[in-house]
Amino acid sequence: MTNVLWLQGGACSGNTMSFLNAEEPTVCDLIADFGINVLWHPSLGLELGDRLQTLLWDCILGKTPLDILVFEGSVVNAPNGTGEWNRFADRPMKAWLTDLAKAANFVVAVGDCATWGGIPAMEPNPSESEGLQFLKRKEGGFLGKDYRSKAGLPVINIPGCPAHPDWITQILVAIATGRIADIALDDLNRPQTFFNTFTQTGCTRNVHFAYKASTAEFGQRKGCLFYDLGCRGPMTHSSCNRILWNKVSSKTRAGMPCLGCTEPEFPFFDLKPGTVFKTQTVMGVPKELPPGVKKKDYALLTMVAKDAAPDWAEEDFFTV
Amino acid sequence: MGRQTLDISPVGRVEGDLDVRVEIADGQVVNAWTHAELFRGFEVILRGKDPQAGLIVTPRICGICGGSHLTCASWALDTAWGTEVPRNAILARNLGQIVETIQSIPRYFYGLFAIDLTNKKYRSSRFYDDAVRRFAAFTGKSYELGVTISAKPVEIYALLGGQWPHSSYMVPGGVMCAPTLTDITRAWAILEYFRTNWLEPVWLGCSLERYEEIQTYDDFMAWLDEDIKHRESDLGFYWRMGLDIGLDRYGAGVGKYVTWGYLPHEDRYQKPTIESRNAAMIMKSGVYDSFTDTHTLMDHTFARENTTHAWYDEGTADIHPFDRTTNPIQKNTKDFNNAYSWSSAVKHQDFGRLEAGALARQLVAGGKHGESWQHYDGFILDVFKHFGGANIHVRQLARVHEQVKLYREAERCLREFVLNDPWYIKPKEKDGRGWGATEAARGSLCHWVEVEDGKIKNYQVIAPTTWNVGPRDSEGVKGPIEEALVGTPIADPTDPVEVGHVARSFDSCLVCTVHAHDAKTGEELARFRTA
Repeated sequence: MTNVLWLQGGACSGNTMSFLNAEEPTVCDLIADFGINVLWHPSLGLELGDRLQTLLWDCILGKTPLDILVFEGSVVNAPNGTGEWNRFADRPMKAWLTDLAKAANFVVAVGDCATWGGIPAMEPNPSESEGLQFLKRKEGGFLGKDYRSKAGLPVINIPGCPAHPDWITQILVAIATGRIADIALDDLNRPQTFFNTFTQTGCTRNVHFAYKASTAEFGQRKGCLFYDLGCRGPMTHSSCNRILWNKVSSKTRAGMPCLGCTEPEFPFFDLKPGTVFKTQTVMGVPKELPPGVKKKDYALLTMVAKDAAPDWAEEDFFTV
Repeated sequence: MGRQTLDISPVGRVEGDLDVRVEIADGQVVNAWTHAELFRGFEVILRGKDPQAGLIVTPRICGICGGSHLTCASWALDTAWGTEVPRNAILARNLGQIVETIQSIPRYFYGLFAIDLTNKKYRSSRFYDDAVRRFAAFTGKSYELGVTISAKPVEIYALLGGQWPHSSYMVPGGVMCAPTLTDITRAWAILEYFRTNWLEPVWLGCSLERYEEIQTYDDFMAWLDEDIKHRESDLGFYWRMGLDIGLDRYGAGVGKYVTWGYLPHEDRYQKPTIESRNAAMIMKSGVYDSFTDTHTLMDHTFARENTTHAWYDEGTADIHPFDRTTNPIQKNTKDFNNAYSWSSAVKHQDFGRLEAGALARQLVAGGKHGESWQHYDGFILDVFKHFGGANIHVRQLARVHEQVKLYREAERCLREFVLNDPWYIKPKEKDGRGWGATEAARGSLCHWVEVEDGKIKNYQVIAPTTWNVGPRDSEGVKGPIEEALVGTPIADPTDPVEVGHVARSFDSCLVCTVHAHDAKTGEELARFRTA
């Protein structure tokens, strides 16, 4: 049995909701087929009040082995570092975290809030939120740069707002089945298997990207969302178009620009006026280009692509 | 027998962190306090940001009702910008919201509520063994099916918005998507799957058509007796067990109810304004006062907030959210004579404290007020009157009753889409004030936005749980859940499952109750003026 304790700090429960959408395996399959034992979860756990407090102390004191601590939501430090604005089970959540992180074999941060601080940590960060081991791209976070769980790993970061259910279940299963050594982490401690490619990989609008055929307005089946509508698909590390959402789609497939929510900078530009669903450009060239593409080459590429574009690239591609 | 004080931290399984203090005398709750214990400051975060920032930020207030926040954020900007919204887009927004709620019903019922029917307290009930077989966490037959199948309806949301939760596909002027025939066909198939694999065989034990014949309490009881399949369905079983263990005997609450109305009609709200909203809703708005048995329309100008017993230093007057200044107390000590929650006390200027949620929607649906073409359904009002008011059991029936109606509305959206007509009409951004409202699965939700100099000057949210979980107001009047807890019998103070039943029957969602303030300076935030 692999004991899992799941707690929420400055959370919206979105990662829990996403987790409950898991299908292969389902949340119930995890328990029945993969030996995962959910000690407690805010939406699913049985105990309330004193009984939960006892359960938490038993984990801290080693009476109950804590194999995996899953944390969802930001670590709230307000006011003035006390964490009193997020009390849970009669203590600041951050106090529980300090104790539980010492007892846990593995710590998994699910979602942007737990990984980087997320939306609550957005300027001006009224709740003094941070992630477990990062604040935005800065290493450290609540547990500190050098934190290692008992199994010797840093916090495993599964970002995304929310994290995809398969990303969560596969990591839990990898730990439960002794496969975690197979998982390589990137420099932001994200499992590479999900975060090595770009969101754009597998996007159905890729041909429009290649021929520089833009969607300038919403509600279109055709065109690439990168040139005008601020899509971050080419610059964002995620598997959203490879491991589809809710089994059926992805934001870019449906016509919504990628917001780059698996990257620490989300929400980009702090949502300052003029930056939402609009591509930031200089002299008509996007300020941010896909990684590795030089501005000069981009200009050349644009010219060639526009010249080479077949007529159908500008037509309603996925016509009814 | 002396008084005993019980602090329950947390109550759990209520979406977010709810703490409750109850005073018990002679085995009954005689006083209660509810605390919201998390503060993130979303409204502060939104100030000074892009006018459309709310489309990205507010769904993240709550991952459970994100689609409802998104629809509020979109309609608020639509009214501020004076947009035109094509009928396809209205239908696509409605469909997104509907499938989010259809998802929420089994997820809430099995995941959050029905587990407690397997509590050892009910061992002596003749229904107990069957309840364990059906509702035990993770392994119960119905639990496993219900929680798993709850992922299906939101696949339809993903067909429109790319994913659920946390898409921002609704925007002022329409929606971002333009679904194809494939998407629509899949959506039909997903609905069918949900109906034929759970809704009809497991939940109802009958066809949707048979269930729709139920109009009154007597009809319901006749339905229950009509066929063993009805009695043995999860609905029939829950109804019988709930009565057996006494869920109809406590949890009344304040006896007055509110809904903003929801599902704007695709032909009546294409040029949305705040003033024209009530008449454009398919599901009508309203307040039901059970003491006088009267229905009246609800309007945003009636809303008031009071922070006397909340962790804000904003005086003791009732103020409209437009006029709210948000001035936090830094040190949020629990003080039951003063402040003890981050939730404000929300009120109606004339009716005082109101309960929001599915029960409120259904009681209002039984009113003859509103427009003649709007939805009418007298079933839950009739059940309510049969029991002489609210209780856990009636609240629960109301919570699950909407499924068939919403299923039909989802079908209607799919029928009404005209795939080659517009889905979006690009609006002109401008300064102004807007208001958007809807009904999330768990109750009335609304956003107020003021845009000035091309950025958000003020953003205010009142979520369903703010209505329900609020603390006492300036007159000491308890919030709806506090009031509902009074009279609750507690069999075993070391395992107060009854408190859980009451709190969970409201389907509270604490993650939503978060109000804004500036932690760094404690400065008074910009006022949101009505005039």
